[in-house]
Amino acid sequence: MNILIDVLPVALRAMVPITLAAVGEIFTERAGVVNIGLEGIMTLSAFIAGVGSWATRDPWLGVLAGLATGAVLGLVHGFISVCLRGNQVVSGVGINLLGMGAVGFGAWALWGAKSPMLDHSFWVPGISLWGVNFSPFVIMTPVVVAFTWLVLHKTALGLRVRAVGEAPVAADVVGIHVNRLRLWATVYGGALGGLAGAFLSLDWLHTISPTLPAGRGFIALANVVFSKLNPFLALVGGFLFGYFDALAIHLASVAGFGGALPYQFIRTIPYLVTLVVVALAIGRARFPAALGQPYRRE
Amino acid sequence: MAENLIEARKITKVYPDGTQALFEVDFAVQAGEVHGLLGENGAGKSTLTKILSGLLSPTSGTILWKGKKVRFGSPREALKAGIGMVHQHFALVGPYTGLENIALGAEGVRILGPVRTRWIGKKVENIMDRSGLRVPLDVPVEDLPVGVQQRLEILKVLVREVELLILDEPTAVLTPQEVDELFSVLRSLASLGKSVVLITHKLREVLEVTDRVTVLRHGKLVTVRPTRETSLEELASSMVGREMPRMRGRTNRSGGKEVLRVENLVVPGVGGKPAVRGVSFSVHEGEILGVAGVQGNGQTELVEAMVGLRPWTGKVELNGKSLAGLGPAQVAALGLAHIPEDRQGMGLILPFSVAENAVLGKLRPFTDRVGGLRWRKIFRSTADLIQRFSVQTSGPRAQARSLSGGNQQRLVVGRELSKAPELLIANQPTRGLDIAATHYIRETLLKLRDEGLALLLISADLDEIFELSDRVAVMYNGTFTGISPVEKLDRERVGLLMGGLTFEEARG
Repeated sequence: MNILIDVLPVALRAMVPITLAAVGEIFTERAGVVNIGLEGIMTLSAFIAGVGSWATRDPWLGVLAGLATGAVLGLVHGFISVCLRGNQVVSGVGINLLGMGAVGFGAWALWGAKSPMLDHSFWVPGISLWGVNFSPFVIMTPVVVAFTWLVLHKTALGLRVRAVGEAPVAADVVGIHVNRLRLWATVYGGALGGLAGAFLSLDWLHTISPTLPAGRGFIALANVVFSKLNPFLALVGGFLFGYFDALAIHLASVAGFGGALPYQFIRTIPYLVTLVVVALAIGRARFPAALGQPYRRE
Repeated sequence: MAENLIEARKITKVYPDGTQALFEVDFAVQAGEVHGLLGENGAGKSTLTKILSGLLSPTSGTILWKGKKVRFGSPREALKAGIGMVHQHFALVGPYTGLENIALGAEGVRILGPVRTRWIGKKVENIMDRSGLRVPLDVPVEDLPVGVQQRLEILKVLVREVELLILDEPTAVLTPQEVDELFSVLRSLASLGKSVVLITHKLREVLEVTDRVTVLRHGKLVTVRPTRETSLEELASSMVGREMPRMRGRTNRSGGKEVLRVENLVVPGVGGKPAVRGVSFSVHEGEILGVAGVQGNGQTELVEAMVGLRPWTGKVELNGKSLAGLGPAQVAALGLAHIPEDRQGMGLILPFSVAENAVLGKLRPFTDRVGGLRWRKIFRSTADLIQRFSVQTSGPRAQARSLSGGNQQRLVVGRELSKAPELLIANQPTRGLDIAATHYIRETLLKLRDEGLALLLISADLDEIFELSDRVAVMYNGTFTGISPVEKLDRERVGLLMGGLTFEEARG
């Protein structure tokens, strides 16, 4: 049974979007804001990254465009839920729908197809290490994880971010700008979601589609629960979810096996695993006390 | 005469909803004094101090800080200037340690740099030595008792080098012994040259610790006096605006037949740790059993278990019938009525009308055969309740939210009594009410007792316990540290029991 090892390279790639989006969301939620719009952020960022790469002929500028798209959508969500004190679930659902709709429309408008393939020249080039070709995103992901953890738990900024999510009143009283900090945390979370989206279109799947993330934005949310809001555990979770994702992709494509079971069934594996993990993990996770509650000074 | 550190002139505050909270109030605090700010609920004490500390801005009036006119747009501006406030609800981050809480907002120079724990720790140690405030710094604050949390709040403000410290009802959550410790800290702060404003409605505290006192009533300044030139009676009447209503003399009765019997009751709390650890007592007809204790020692869990809101083990019998395994509706049907401690969350549904609230939990007689509500009957019965319990409201259709706290409580009490209970549990029945409403509720409870009802009173207010109870139990850390007829107790002894001493230790 070499399958379990054969899927490793794919698993490492599958880990990237689930981890990046989850780590961003961890930062957002630590500050007290829930953003369930990750799926929409990834969808639209993947598209804009593709367009950026196509327009500038530079895949890295495309990645930057994806990152910026995520940041802007994070800003929108932050504006609605922090500044306007809107319902965070409604805002998140809105972003998900926006992502799907905008990409469906945009892909038709630009390429005349719902799911155009991206030409090889738009792809992010791999990095060769020890004779193996790595995706730069696979290397970047643990760095982002470590960076986020350091900021959250070892800096003054992190102390403030977590305080704002736990006890906004306490933060306000000592002179911390609660809403400003929450807004920036939401932008950071959105930006990482955008990075995940850019990875999907420019590095991994090489296509654009209104359903490109295929639920990975939601799996990232599950990963947040699994991680108990710890970025390093989110990396572990990302690999775990990514591994099953890769396994399903592999099994569905293996001749014979695919014949025995309709491949649609096999492709449900990662989602079923997600359900089970969340069901087991959700009772043990401790979320910030003020999560999801807009702050207003009395 | 010392100079005024802060002076507020002709402060008027009208809230956006039209409530006039303050009307041309003058208020001044001198350097190095402990200044009492006395008044009933709704007198404007909190509004005034919120204006001084930058949480609210006045509608009109000026504030002079060290002789200069200032306008604070936020608490952080006031804090920067040297005014710190410790709120009734602590502004602490529960999972953070004491040091992290103190460091928050003053961590270091660079926002992406590390928290300067060593530097802040040294500073805190220094202040702890000078002021006599001692707090463990390496424990998550949610694991600390409230008295210690409060000291931490004060430290937090002191580290920021404030000159004026405002404390909002700081003694509400403390045992009498903790109050003494707090007061000696306040005195030592004053001797270090800091000014302290102590907001309270407890006269005894004003006389005990303050140098001067300002009394507010209905948003207006009544008087400013040096404390030693005034008296308990004088302060009381200027606070209430008339002579204090006198409680009628208690006629002690020996209890009748046993109504409630509780044996070895254990109630699990949050995280599986028992919140009530083996409590036994009984309540008789025509008797009030008072349960004293600082909030959070298992009283809430005790009550919620008995009324069927929490699982429990042990034995609870109402008139000989076991309550084991019964839900709230079944317990109520056996004759147990309950005035919950959280009036607005558990006692009433605020967006519902007075009439709807008046029949909550007893709809059977107001329902026709197909399940429709018989509104005419509901309104008639509500009008009756409004009259009998003198609820001030525009009528049965008014939203419960529109009632004042005192009238909300009258509504709850009226509803519970209309269920003709065998036993009434009153949990903190007068918390947050003004003096008139408090007086009314207490009179009602005493009248019920005289009529033969069995009552279980849970209260953190020692005056209330002593005024109403025939017997007193003291709850500490999930157990009763003692249970005794009220004649055999005094405030000091109960205070020690509230602090966790046993009966024998408290006697010595």
